[in-house]
Amino acid sequence: MNTHHKRWPVWPLLLAVPLVCAGALLAGAAGLPDWQTPLGRAVLELRLHRILTGLVVGAGLAGAGVVMQALLRNPLAEPYVLGVSSGAGLGAAMAVFFGWNVLHLWAVPAAAFVTGIVTLTVVYFLAARGGGASIYGLLLSGIIVSAVLSNLLMLIVSLAPAEGMHSILWWILGNLQLSAQPLLMTGGALVLGSLVILTVLGAQLNALTLGRETAHHLGVRTGLMIAGCLALATLLAATSVALAGLIGFVGLIVPHAARAWVGPDHRKLPAVAAVIGGLFLVICDTVARTIVAPQEIPIGVVTALVGGPFFLALLLRRRKGGWIE
Amino acid sequence: MSAAVICRNVSAGYRQQPVLHDISLTIQAGQMVALLGPNGAGKSTLLRVLTGLQPLTGGEVELFGRDLRQLRATERARLVAVVPQEVTTPMAFTVAELVALGRSVPRGRWAALAAADRQAIEQALAYTDTLELRDRYYSELSGGEKQRAIIAMALAQEPQLLLLDEPTSHLDINHRLEVLQLLERLNRERGLTVVMTSHDLNLAAEFFPQLALLNHGRITAVGAPAEVLREDVLEEAYHCKLAVRRDATGLLMILPTRTATAPTGKRVHVICGGGSGVEVLRRLCLAGWQVSCGALNQGDTDAQTAAALGIATALEKPFSPLSDGALAAASQLAQAADVIVVCEVLFGPGNVKNLDVARQAGKPILLNTRQVAARDFTSQREVPALLSALVERGATPWEQVGDLLIALEKVK
Repeated sequence: MNTHHKRWPVWPLLLAVPLVCAGALLAGAAGLPDWQTPLGRAVLELRLHRILTGLVVGAGLAGAGVVMQALLRNPLAEPYVLGVSSGAGLGAAMAVFFGWNVLHLWAVPAAAFVTGIVTLTVVYFLAARGGGASIYGLLLSGIIVSAVLSNLLMLIVSLAPAEGMHSILWWILGNLQLSAQPLLMTGGALVLGSLVILTVLGAQLNALTLGRETAHHLGVRTGLMIAGCLALATLLAATSVALAGLIGFVGLIVPHAARAWVGPDHRKLPAVAAVIGGLFLVICDTVARTIVAPQEIPIGVVTALVGGPFFLALLLRRRKGGWIE
Repeated sequence: MSAAVICRNVSAGYRQQPVLHDISLTIQAGQMVALLGPNGAGKSTLLRVLTGLQPLTGGEVELFGRDLRQLRATERARLVAVVPQEVTTPMAFTVAELVALGRSVPRGRWAALAAADRQAIEQALAYTDTLELRDRYYSELSGGEKQRAIIAMALAQEPQLLLLDEPTSHLDINHRLEVLQLLERLNRERGLTVVMTSHDLNLAAEFFPQLALLNHGRITAVGAPAEVLREDVLEEAYHCKLAVRRDATGLLMILPTRTATAPTGKRVHVICGGGSGVEVLRRLCLAGWQVSCGALNQGDTDAQTAAALGIATALEKPFSPLSDGALAAASQLAQAADVIVVCEVLFGPGNVKNLDVARQAGKPILLNTRQVAARDFTSQREVPALLSALVERGATPWEQVGDLLIALEKVK
C-alpha cells in the first residue's frame, strides 16, 4: 500500500508565474514587437492586459470551483452546476440584446454580475424550501435552473440581429480582451479579497467536506458558513464571467489539479488553485491567439480541448480511490 | 461529582411528529452511559439534542452547568465531541490531516495556539493507536481503523464529553471490542464522560456501568446493567421474548427467544439425556411441535434445556436410577404423544428402562442408531439388541438432526 503521499511545495508554482507571463508577453503573431514604436507599445499593452485578465479570471473561476466542490462534496461541482455562470451569461446577453452595452461601459459586466447573484439566490431558496438547503437539493435545483437559463440564452441568440449575435457569441465562448481597464482593476480587487477570506475560512471548509453535521460537531456554524462561502463563490464566478464571458472547464479541472498538487487542505487550496487557474488561462489564451495566427480562436474552445483530455487523464490516474486525489 | 449533562423535561421532534417526550436525565461527569432502546425509540434524537443539532420543543439542556442554547458553537465544540456511525469525505485526507480537523475552529489568538493544537492532535493519535496510520489515506482504512481515526479527531477537540452514535454498528466483533476498550481507557485515564447509543445489549452490559433504556421517546429505566437489563423491562421495550442469563464468568447475556411460528398441534415425546437432546428439543419447539421429554434426572443438561423451553418433563431425583414413579410419568407423556423420538443418548442401568417406555407406548418411534455399541454402558450389553428389536417392529432410524426433522414431516 502506498503510504508515501505526494504533497508538492508551492514555490515552483509561484516561480512559474513570471516565466509564463513573460512567455505570453513575447509570443504573438507579430513576434516580439518593437518597444520603441507606438504600435509596438500598443501591442505589448494589449498583451499585458490579456495576461492580467487571464490571471484574474482564471483565479476567480478556479477559486469558485474549489469552494463549490468542497461545499457540495461533489467532484463535478463548479460554477456552471449551480447556474451561476449561465445566469451571468444570460445577463450579459440581455445587456447586449437590449443595447445597454452602448449606453454604459459597465452595463454588460454589471448585468452579468447581478443575474449571477440572482440565479444563485433563486437556486438556494428552491433548495432550502422548508429547512436548510441540502447538498442534493442544491445540485438538483442548480442543474434545473441552469438548463432553463441556457435555453433562454439560446433564445436570445436566435432572436438577436446579426451584429449583436456576433458579440453575444463572443461572450458565450469567452474572451480575455472584452474588459476595460477600470473593470479589470475592480474585478481583480474583488477576486483577491474573496480568495483571502476563503483562505482564512479554509479550516472550516475542510470540516464541511466531512458533511454538515460533522462540521457542526467540530464547532463550525454551518448555516452561516455555507451561505457565506456560496456567496463568495458566486462573487468569484460572476466577476469572472463579467470580465471575460463564459469560459468553461477552468472551474472544473483546476481544483482537481490543485488538490493533486498540495492535497485537500483548503487553507492552501484557494490560493494554489487561483495561481494554477491563472497560469492555465494565460497559457490557453496565448495558444488561442497564436496557433492559427493571424486568426484568433475563442479561448473557451482551447480550455475545453486542453481541459477535457487533462480531466480524463486525472480521473483515470486517480481512479483507485474514486475521485479522490 | 458535577453533572456533565442535565436534561429537564426535554421534548423534541420532527415537524408534527414528536420523538422525545418529557425526558429528564442527569449524567454525572466521568460516567460511562449507554443509551439503549429499540429502533425509533429516540436514542439518536437524544444525542442530536445534546449537540444542538435538534431544536427543543420543550424543556432545557445543561452541559457542564451551562444552558446549551447560550453556548456558542466554538464553546460547545470544546465541551462535546461526537463520533457518528460513519464519516465519509470525498477528499483524500490522510489520517493526520483528518485528526487535525478536530481543531478546525480557531480557539483564540492565532499563533499562540498552534503549538497547543499540534499537541492535542499528537495526543489524540497516540491515545487511539493511530500514530502508525497517520500518513495513510483515511478512505483506505478498514472499518475499525476508520472509527479509531474519527475518535482521534473527536479527541483532538479535547472535549469533556464524548457522544457516540452506534459507533460499532458497522464493525465486526473484534473491532467492536477494540473501540469499546478504547472508550473504557479514555474514561478511566482521562475522566472523559462517555455517552453511547447501542443496539448491542451484551456489549453495553459488559462495558457500561450505567445504562438508560428509551422506549417510544421516554426513558423507561435507568441504572446499573442488572437493574435495567431485566426480562420484564426489556420485553416491554422490544416486544419480544428475551432471556437474561449470566454466563460462567458472571457476564450478563441477553438472548432473544425464538417463538414457534406455526404450531402443528401434534405432540412428540423425546427420550434424551446428558445433552443429547439440547438441539433436538429446541428445533422441535421452533418447528411448532408440542414437546414433552423424560424421564430425566434433575440437573441433567437436557432437563435444564427442557425447563428453559417450558417442556413438560418426567423427572427423577439427581444421580438416581429411574424409579417406577418417574417411568410411569414418562409413560403417560409418551402415550399422550403422537410420535416418540429417541436421541443419541448414552444408556446405562440407570436410564435403559426409558426404552421400555418407548416400546410400550405403541406409537411410531424415530430412533437414533449412531454408534450404538459405543453408547452402551449396561451390564448385559443389551442395548444393541433392544434397538434392533425396535427397528424390526417398525421404528425409523435416524442419525442427524436434519434427517430427524425430515422424518418427522412424514409423520405429520
